[in-house]
Formats: sequence, structure tokens, C-alpha cells
Amino acid sequence: MYKTIIEPSNGINLNLKEIWQYRELLWTLTYRDIRVKYAQTAIGFAWAIVNPLFTLLILSFVFGTVANVKVEGTDGVVVPHIIYTITGLCGWQYFSEVLAQAGGSIIGAQNMVKKIYFPRLIIPMSKAITAFIDFAVVIIIMIICMIIYQFPPSENIIYFPLFFIIAVVSGLSAGIWMSALTIRFRDFQHITPMLLRIGMYATPIAYPASAVPEKYQLLFYMNPMAGVVEGMRWCIIGGAPLHYYAYISFFVIFLFLVFGLMYFKRVERVMADIL
Amino acid sequence: MDNKIISVQNISKKYEIGMVASGSFRETFTNAISLSNKKRSKSSKDEFWALKDISFDVNKGDVIGIIGRNGAGKSTLLKVISKITEPTNGRIVLNGRVASLLEVGTGFHPELTGRENIFLNGSILGMTRSEIRSKFNEIVNFSGVEKFLDTPVKRYSSGMYVRLAFAVAAHLEPEILVIDEVLSVGDVEFQKKCLGKMNEVAKGGRTVLFVSHNMGAVRTLCETVIVLNGGKVAFQGDVETGVNIYLGMANENMSEMGQVNFTMENAVGKEELKLLGIRLKDELGNIKGTFSTSEEITLEIDYYLTEKVVNMRLNVRVLTGDDQILFAGSSHSKEPHSKNKGYYTCITKFSKDLLNEGVYKIWLQAGSPGYKELLPEQIYLKFTTEKLTSSGTMRDSVLPGYIAPVLNWEIITK
Repeated sequence: MYKTIIEPSNGINLNLKEIWQYRELLWTLTYRDIRVKYAQTAIGFAWAIVNPLFTLLILSFVFGTVANVKVEGTDGVVVPHIIYTITGLCGWQYFSEVLAQAGGSIIGAQNMVKKIYFPRLIIPMSKAITAFIDFAVVIIIMIICMIIYQFPPSENIIYFPLFFIIAVVSGLSAGIWMSALTIRFRDFQHITPMLLRIGMYATPIAYPASAVPEKYQLLFYMNPMAGVVEGMRWCIIGGAPLHYYAYISFFVIFLFLVFGLMYFKRVERVMADIL
Repeated sequence: MDNKIISVQNISKKYEIGMVASGSFRETFTNAISLSNKKRSKSSKDEFWALKDISFDVNKGDVIGIIGRNGAGKSTLLKVISKITEPTNGRIVLNGRVASLLEVGTGFHPELTGRENIFLNGSILGMTRSEIRSKFNEIVNFSGVEKFLDTPVKRYSSGMYVRLAFAVAAHLEPEILVIDEVLSVGDVEFQKKCLGKMNEVAKGGRTVLFVSHNMGAVRTLCETVIVLNGGKVAFQGDVETGVNIYLGMANENMSEMGQVNFTMENAVGKEELKLLGIRLKDELGNIKGTFSTSEEITLEIDYYLTEKVVNMRLNVRVLTGDDQILFAGSSHSKEPHSKNKGYYTCITKFSKDLLNEGVYKIWLQAGSPGYKELLPEQIYLKFTTEKLTSSGTMRDSVLPGYIAPVLNWEIITK
């Protein structure tokens, strides 16, 4: 028989089993987000393409054409800047979408949170899944660019899924942090877009990480997305293996996830009371 | 085997008033600073115990009403049982799946169609997709919105919206169903349908916890009640005793200001009659709680009939301060045989120089004799009378007795 014991919680119990039990809700919320996101807009789903496309063109124009940043692939082969940029952009676009959506996600779902029980982690999780769409769109743009420029991917591409998983973990942990922080401090509604704007330039999307002066490298890789973006690019266009600092970036993601979950669980206990 | 399906053991829930809840950085920093300067004193007035040491057991198949005044802790209790918020102390053991219905239409999205919202709302309430699919036709039939299934619900009328939302909720099949005031929505006909459906649910052997201010619904649906007062269990037992205790508590809250008003949402009364307000006025039309014994007092009662009612009468009693009936009256001699749906005001007057100085109460009830009760009996108003002499100064001696009609004296000298 189904038995539940309700007690004041102490300690952190992730209860992954419960999240698995609620997986249908996760799919339903994801479906709802995707359906609603482009409803009632004139060009609908086309927005999902227009947005990253413009980011790509601007970044590529500013860094490639104006600043003329030199980028190299394997054995000194010159990579078209637009290809270089989009390999960096795919990871970032996913991350920024998750962060932007997850930040206010629990506040946005407060009617549900106050009236129904379900594992609250499902809300930021559904945002991390919804953003797969945005990721897929950038990948498609990337493939089209590669066909146009006749640029075959390097053999490192087999590692691409690994970096994608890291990107998901990174987006999810940042999303978990932001959703919990935004409940506690509404200030984060303003901080999140600011962080994303900083991140767009602090992440090696349109320039190589090696262009950052040595003394800032360590700080540079504290950015959880720095390693992922470099890694994804390495998968597509090859070149020198990852700087060992990139592993710092992965470690930061790991810490982010662990402490994010702990913080989220703490806030979750009072969520319905303080919303 | 143990028949207990819910066991609530010493549950308490504390809220901190003005707690650093959803605050800003500045507050947190300021608090951090003041914390280092002097130990932040947390006086007990910052705390509020919504529930205090509540214990009760519910057997499988019981339909229990939870009643109490506003702020008695009913909603908090339901939230704790349905895991929405955590208790501060204590423990609850639930031997079955819980579905809570604290609101209908939770998670409904206006942009999505009726069909999509059925699936969305169903899975939020804990149904699996296959469960929803198997009940889909039933849900649609119950709601009566077949034609608009593929229309976004933002185009629905509020009635359609609520019907669809309730239809989904009504088809939940958990072992324990927790319901909060959902019946206060929709039109009368639909409310009846909901009550019927809930009766069906209750008879189907499911355990139901039902919070309501609608004593009629509580009487119809529940076998036992729990009366909460100030976050504690004041009574657990049979419905009649419980409802009377609750009404008694409601009386503690009666107005001494000469009027009580209700909104349509919290109006007292059965399905057909909603009591909206009761007022006491003096000859100049001022609403007061204190009158001079030499003033004529006007009693006005506002109510709304939600449907045509036959043979209705309003019964009024004036009680003494210690609840003895002083006199009673009924509106029946002036009532038409039947009254249509609509707003009504019923007016009567208590003549001057009748009441003594003291405290009196107004008791009210409405019904159609031999047919049904429309407004359960309750004491709503308390008022005071004072005797003023013609010069306006208070007389020093009070006559004994509940009434003090002015007697006409004739003195004959023989």
C-alpha cells in the first residue's frame, strides 16, 4: 500500500524516485511551455530561429569582421568566423535560454505551487528540457552553415554528446540556483538578464579562450560555460585539446549543481509560505 | 488490519510574521548587520501558530468535514496534509494516495485548448496520461463543453471554465481526497451536480476531507466533523453537534456595531438563499449598535434568492443578553406565495418604549414551513439600549425586567 509520512524535514533528501514518479508532469509542463511560448505571435516558431540567427550574425560581425579576431582549426586551417562563432553559440544559447526561463519559473508557477504538491524541482527541470528546442535550432543553423561553407566536422564530434550533457547539467544547476534565489530575493529578476549579458561576452563564443591574458585565465574558467563552449567547439572544428583549466570549469559546474540542489531544497520547504 | 488511513499526530505549524521571506538583499544585509550588533530578539509576537498540536485519526472511507471560523487553521491543515507546506512539528501518516483540490483549474493555461488543459490539469492533479485518456469522454460529458474542446480556454465563459476544471477534478480517484471550498464556484445547478458527484465519491468508499463554510453541504456530505478553533481541535464527532458548536463560535463573533454584511462569496445560507446583510437603524436612518429605549428601532435584512422560492418566511427573534427568547415574529403574513430570483430587503420595526435598558440579540432563520430550511438559525447582532430622560441625562435607577413598556398611569383620588 502507498504510504506517506509527513514530517518536518531535516537534511537534504533529493528523492529522485519521487521525481521519476512525477515524470509525466514533467513532460506535460514541458509540452505546455513549448506550446505556449510561440502561441499568438505572428511568425510563431520562426522566432526560435530568428533570435539565435541575429545573435550569430552580430557576434560574427563584431568579432570577425570589425575586431578581426583570428581563429584557427586543426593544423592552422583557417575556420570561417561564422562557423567558429556558431560552434561556440550552440552551448551558450542553450544555457542562456535555460537560465532566462528558469529564473522566474517558480514565481510564474506560484498558483500551482501554492495549491498542489509535486516535487518543485520539476519546474526548473522542465525549462531545461524546453530549451532543447532552442539547442536543436542552433544545431540546424550550424549544419546549414557547415554545408554552405563546405566545412566537415572533425572526428572529435563523437564527444559532442558528452559536452551536451555537461551543458544540460550546467544550465540546470544555474536554473535551479536562479529559481530558488528569485523566490528569496526578487532582485534576481533584474540580476539574471545582467548576468546573461556579461556571460555573452565573458564566454569564448566568438573568440578563442587562449586570447584571454594568462593572468585572467583562471578567473575566466570559473565561468561554468567556458569549458563547455570550448569543448563543443573542439568537437566540431578540432584543434588543440582543451586547456587543463577547462576542467576547473567542469568542477565549478559540479559544485554549482551540488550546492544549488542543497539551496533549492532549503527554499523548497518554505516555498509555498513565502511566495 | 489497521483501519486508519490518516493519522495526524501533534501537528503544529508556525508562521513568522514579517519574516525575511521574499525579501530584498537590503533587508538581508540589514538583518545580518543588526545581528552582529545585537542579538536579534525574536519576540513571540513575531510568531503565529496557525496550527497548534493537532491530533486526530481518520478511518478508511470516512467523509469528514473540517469547519471553523476564518483563521481557525482549516486551510493550513489541508495544506500540510497535502504536502504543500511543511509542518513545524509533528507527524502525519497517510496510508494512501492523496489528491488535493484546494482550487479547481490549477495550472490551466488560457492559451491552451480545453482538450490540452484536461491533460495538463489532470497530470498536475496526479493522474497518469493513460488514466486521463480512459476517462476523457466522461470528463467531457460531465463538463458539457464538447463543442469547445479545441478552443483555447481563454475564450471560455467563466462558467464553462469552472465546469471543465471541476470535471477534471471530479474524476480523480485517489484513496484520500482533500477538498477546500470548491463548491463555492459555478451556478446553482452546477453546484448541485458537483455535490451529487461528491456524494458519489464519498459513497464509493473513498476517504474525503472536506473544508467548507457551507453547513448545508457539510450536513449533506459528511458523517463526522472536526471543528477547529484557533489552530486547535475544538471538537471531533457527529455532524449536528459539530455544526452547532461552530455556529456557537460564529456567535462569539457577532457584530455589536449594528450591522453585519456578507459578500456573495461568503454569504450565509443554503443554496437558494444568500444572506447579504442585517442592519439596525434609528429613526433618522443611522446604523447603530446602541439605542435609546425611547427610539423606534428598524431591522433591515438583505438577501438574494438564487432561484424561485415558494412559501418562504423569515423568522426573527429578539433575545435577551443571556439568550432567552423575549419575543418572536415572522414575515409570513406579508410574504407573497412565491418569490422570484433576485435581491430582497425585509424590514420590520420594534416600537419605542418597549425594551428595557440592557443587551439584546437578533436571531434569524428562514425557511418554508414543512419544506426546507433556507437560512440556518443563528444570532447575528447584539445591541444595547440605554434609557435617557427627557433632559438627556441618564437616570440612576434601572427597572427590573426584560421589557420596560411605558405604562400609562391614572390616579384617582377618592
